[in-house]
Order: sequence, then C-alpha cells, then structure tokens
Amino acid sequence: MNENLPRVEEFQAEIDSMKVKASGSANESKLLLLGVLLGVAGLALAVYGGIMVQNDSNQYNQRAFMATGSFIGIAMIIAGAALFVRYSMARYLRFWLVRLVHESRANTDRIVDAIERGSGLK
Amino acid sequence: MSGLFATNDGDGTAFESAPVPLLELQGIRAAYDAIEVLHGIDLVVPAGRVVALLGPNGAGKSTTLNVACGLMRPTAGKLLVAGRDVTGVPAEQLARRGLITIPEGRGVFPNLTVRENLQVATYSGRKLSDIEAMTYERFPRLGERRGQVVGTMSGGEQQMLAMARGLASDPAVLLLDELSMGLAPLIVEELYTIVGHIASTGVSILVVEQFARTVLGIADIAAIMVHGQIRAVGRPADIEHELSSAYLGGEKESTQ
Repeated sequence: MNENLPRVEEFQAEIDSMKVKASGSANESKLLLLGVLLGVAGLALAVYGGIMVQNDSNQYNQRAFMATGSFIGIAMIIAGAALFVRYSMARYLRFWLVRLVHESRANTDRIVDAIERGSGLK
Repeated sequence: MSGLFATNDGDGTAFESAPVPLLELQGIRAAYDAIEVLHGIDLVVPAGRVVALLGPNGAGKSTTLNVACGLMRPTAGKLLVAGRDVTGVPAEQLARRGLITIPEGRGVFPNLTVRENLQVATYSGRKLSDIEAMTYERFPRLGERRGQVVGTMSGGEQQMLAMARGLASDPAVLLLDELSMGLAPLIVEELYTIVGHIASTGVSILVVEQFARTVLGIADIAAIMVHGQIRAVGRPADIEHELSSAYLGGEKESTQ
C-alpha cells in the first residue's frame, strides 16, 4: 500500500535532524531547583560571613567577610527566593485553576442530575 | 493504545515497513487560558493510513488538530512526529518538513486568482509550473478557472484549491480539518474520493470531521472524541454503535 515509502523515510530523516528545545515544564523545574540552591547557598554564605565577622578583630578582614557573606549572600537569597516564588506560584496557580474547573464541572453535573431527578427523567 | 495499530489491519498488511507511527499524540492536555479542553488525548496515525477523528461540535477535534500540527502548545503530554518528541516546535517548521494542515475555512486568499494562490505555495521551493501541472491534473476544474478570483468560486472549488496548495508542499502527513464544512453532500463525496486517491499514494492522513458518514468510507481507523477525550478507537465498522451514542448523548461505554 505504501508507495510513498521514500517520502516517509525522507520525512523521518528531516524530523530527526531538527533541533528541538527542552519543553517549558522541564525548564520550569530546573529554574525552581536553581532558586532553592541559590537560597541555600546564599544563607550559608551569610551565616559564614556573620560568624567570621564576629570572630575576627581585624577591620579589613571584617569588611571582606561582610562583602562576601552579607552582601553577596543576601543578594543570592533574594534572587533564589524570587525564582522559587515565581516558579512554585506558577505550578500552584495552574493546579488551582484546574481544581476550579474540575469543581465547577462537578457542580454542573450535580445540578443536571438534580434537575433530572426532579423532573422524573431518571 | 498504539498496540491496536501495531497489529495487522483488515486487508492483512502489517506495518513492518514503517513501525514508528508518523504522528502520535501522547496524553495531550490543552487549554484556552484557564479552560482545559483536551483531557489526555492518545492518538496514533501510522504511516500510510487514514485516521478519522470524529465527534460532535465542541468535542475538541480542531484543538487536537491544532496541537498535532504545532499551532497550539499542549499544557501536558507529548507530540511525536516520526517517533521524535517535537512538542513546542513551531508549525511552520513542521510544515516545511511535510506535516501539512488544510485548515477549517480553507484559508485561501479570496481576492487573488487561482494561479496567484498557487504561487503562494512556491514557498516550499517547488516551481509554479510544476505545482500548476500537478494541480490541474488532479483538479481539472481549477485549471478551467486558473484566472478567476477565488472569492467568486464555489465553496467546493475553494476547498479543492486549499487541498491543491497543501499537496503542492509534498506532504508526508496531511491534516484535514472539517473538509465538508458548508458544502453540498455531492461535493463532499467528490472531495473525499480525491482524499482517498491521495491516501492510496501512501500519504498518512488525519481527518477531522463532524459529519461522520462522509469520511468512514476512506478511513482505516476511526476515533470518536467527546468532551475532550477519546471515547473509542477502532475500525470504522466496529465503532458504529459508539458513534451514534456519542452524537446522541448515550451512556458512556468507554472502550479506551
């Protein structure tokens, strides 16, 4: 039946040669993970910087620890939190919308069922 | 579900020549903003077969087709073309490689002539003379009207032109959306005879139709879609009963 076999093979070869990007949801979970890692690393840096500032009486060293620990660490925490909130909220809102649609559908079914029972159709 | 298509079909031929289906939808979910309209569609179009996707108005058939051709990105699930995951690949890239859609409402330019409309199809790299020769051989009526403005032609002739333009791109997979829309039954029959001829050359075809009878004659596999889900898949003769119940709102006897 398939006279078109060379065309099919050509089509398969062309599709194989396509560069396909990873899907959006895969990127989303990677960015969510990056947000968590950034937050944890930033917190660790901030705590480390804080402890080192306390334990070092040299002002120059204290400034260096403040710069790495406090400023960079806090910046990482903020960036990580922003990524985490952005991508976890997207997931949550998507789930919430699906839940809303599901509930409204279930409600419609219940109303239709009640009307049918009331009018003696069932 | 792909197991169904991996077996022999009615005329005893198997799919060993091309075991990977040319088009496959796996667990496709799609939504228009917050409203989900496809709830996990699994559909397989094997190489060289005609698959009819049937169902009442609003079942999600055209959305399925839009996902299949890459026009719409699914919210979940995979679109596989020739066994490769191409979810999210733009429609024009798939079309360039041979996944051609003939849309609902024809999509021809009404204020251009037949010849000028065919000229649009030369983007695929073929010469206008070749496209014209192929078109007028397959659709002689378009040959008679080559200088006519398309908007003044009948619906059937416009649909023929839309098909001719799609075929000019040398499709490996052809997606047809509501070919019969707004056309007289005789014209629809004529168009489906042409689709049957195209299918016999080995092009894989997915046809979306609301009015089922017209397409069952040429389909190898039929799938019935209701409320965004595939309710039944099988050979046309086997799903007659399901078809009536889907259109008339009978009991859900899911055979998925």
